[in-house]
Amino acid sequence: MRLLSFVAKRLVATVFILFGVAAITFFLVRLAPGDPVAAQLGQHAGDTATYNRLYHQMGLDRPLWRQFLSYVWNAFHGDFGTSVASPGTPVTTIIGQGLPITIELGALATAIALLFGIPLGVLAAVRHNRIFADNVNMGLMMALYSLPPFVIIPVVWLVFGVLLKDTIFHLPVTGWQGLGDPHYWLAPSFVYAAGLAGFFARSMRSFMLEELNKDYIRTARAKGMSERTVIYIHALKNTLLPFASVLGPTVAFLVVGAFIIEQEFSIPGIANITVQSTLSNDYAVTLATTLVLAAAVVVANALTDIFYTIVDPRVKL
Amino acid sequence: MLPTDDATRATERPAGAPIAPAPGAAPGLQAEASALRPTSLGRQAVQRFMANRLAVLSLLVLLTLIAMAILANLLPLIDPTASDPYNQDSFPSRQHLLGTDASGHDLFSAIIYGLRPALAVGIVGQVVATAVGVFIGVVAGYFGGWVDSVLSRITDLIFALPTFLLAFLTVAVLGSGWDTRFGGSGRVVLITIVFGLVGWPPLMRFVRALTLSFKEQQFVEAAHSIGTPPWKIITRHVLPNTWGLVLVQATFGIGGFIYNETTLSLLGLGVQPPNPDLGSLVSVGAEHININWVESLGPAAFLAVLVVAFAFLGDGLRDAIDPRGSE
Repeated sequence: MRLLSFVAKRLVATVFILFGVAAITFFLVRLAPGDPVAAQLGQHAGDTATYNRLYHQMGLDRPLWRQFLSYVWNAFHGDFGTSVASPGTPVTTIIGQGLPITIELGALATAIALLFGIPLGVLAAVRHNRIFADNVNMGLMMALYSLPPFVIIPVVWLVFGVLLKDTIFHLPVTGWQGLGDPHYWLAPSFVYAAGLAGFFARSMRSFMLEELNKDYIRTARAKGMSERTVIYIHALKNTLLPFASVLGPTVAFLVVGAFIIEQEFSIPGIANITVQSTLSNDYAVTLATTLVLAAAVVVANALTDIFYTIVDPRVKL
Repeated sequence: MLPTDDATRATERPAGAPIAPAPGAAPGLQAEASALRPTSLGRQAVQRFMANRLAVLSLLVLLTLIAMAILANLLPLIDPTASDPYNQDSFPSRQHLLGTDASGHDLFSAIIYGLRPALAVGIVGQVVATAVGVFIGVVAGYFGGWVDSVLSRITDLIFALPTFLLAFLTVAVLGSGWDTRFGGSGRVVLITIVFGLVGWPPLMRFVRALTLSFKEQQFVEAAHSIGTPPWKIITRHVLPNTWGLVLVQATFGIGGFIYNETTLSLLGLGVQPPNPDLGSLVSVGAEHININWVESLGPAAFLAVLVVAFAFLGDGLRDAIDPRGSE
């Protein structure tokens, strides 16, 4: 029963936080310089009658709080208004074009990061305090984790775009052709994955070290079990639970990374759309994309908490 | 009673007398006495830190970079905004230490001046965030009850907000209006304020937890029982015990803030051209990678060294200050 009430509380809190994010973004954008009506009208902005009609139509003559409530109400029904930069296009259509690309790229990067990060983390824990397997390995992972990815990007471009230009290893430096063409996603997804791999490896190492110091591992060894079974069957299995706690930070990390990767590789994902929309004062788009990305982070954090409490009853409620 | 061991002898020593051996003692005894002198916890931490070569090296590199950024005006550097029309996209030469960019700006001096916004936002922003976090954390932890409930819920709310997105949106919306404020450095001030205001929740939680554990301990109970006022217990007994661990957290935080600041400048939201900024130097230079690779890899290397040095410094500080907590 306490579990149910915890889940309910956490869900209510999540809705509350999303409402807060919507409010902050809405009122922030209202502080933006520039006139949305004039932007919509373009060269016809001089016509006072048209201007006033549109001003009323857009609801700008109503009190701010009512504008906010109707914004939330419409957003709740999947209506984020229309874009100014590409007139008449609903914001949801624009999101629908960008979001799948961002999700595909993020999923690829996460898969690559898991593939490299987990074995390296396990290796460092099993060979604890050895120079190469632990110290150098973890130093490198720490560097990858703390480096902004755009520091690595010029190196990748130099190697695969310039130096290997006329070989089969040549990679195009920008663009996106879907998952079907790995030439376009190899470089961005590996750069994207680098920091995440560092994070996974360091987390995995500390979870694994904690497990390996526990009594049941000593018992297993005392029974004469092979080291392989002890590490890969017993210890590794029990690190899966704490490893679930990295889900929340992972999504937050992916969101920041999306801004860098999509900008530098000219990938038309949702982060790129967000940046472009602020440059063209297309604030209806900015509001919606920011809210979608923020919701991803907030919901991931909530799911982590809830999942953790359900599978591990020892967690204090 | 057998006065044989050192501890017993020490108690017989009159109050205030020096531990130094009696005059005329053999020099060997003197050396023995200094070896026996108890090392304070702080000295032990310094010794542990100095033994970590990577951390010491990181500290030296950081101090050099910070000094260069602060003293940039006094160093014999070419004006980073002045362009040399005869040297565009040039490779390193005697005249231009790291070559020039597409507009003929001296790259080395642009990098040194470009360190300023990154370091200012990283260090000042983190100091603001730390101050706010420590204050709210210690108040919530010490007073407990409804004060704690209210402060903790507010912290939860801000912690749940995606920091980068908020900073991005705030600077995108307000940045151009702030450019002219504070003698032209308004944008850096704005970014610093935003990071400082949204970046404190982790420290608040950390200090609150520490305060809660100290509150149960006898030294705080003792201070309370002799009528020490709460603010004095906080400043004299609780805070001095937290500063080491707070320093570790803050050092890691600086690297994170620099990460976010340079990302903003990569997106064109940082310090505006022609004023140099590390993030935009990397991304603008990368457009010319097939002409001159130094243009992007030079600033990228400086940025990498800066961020990684803060991470290694934080690691070294943690191992030195909290040796048991680091594993």
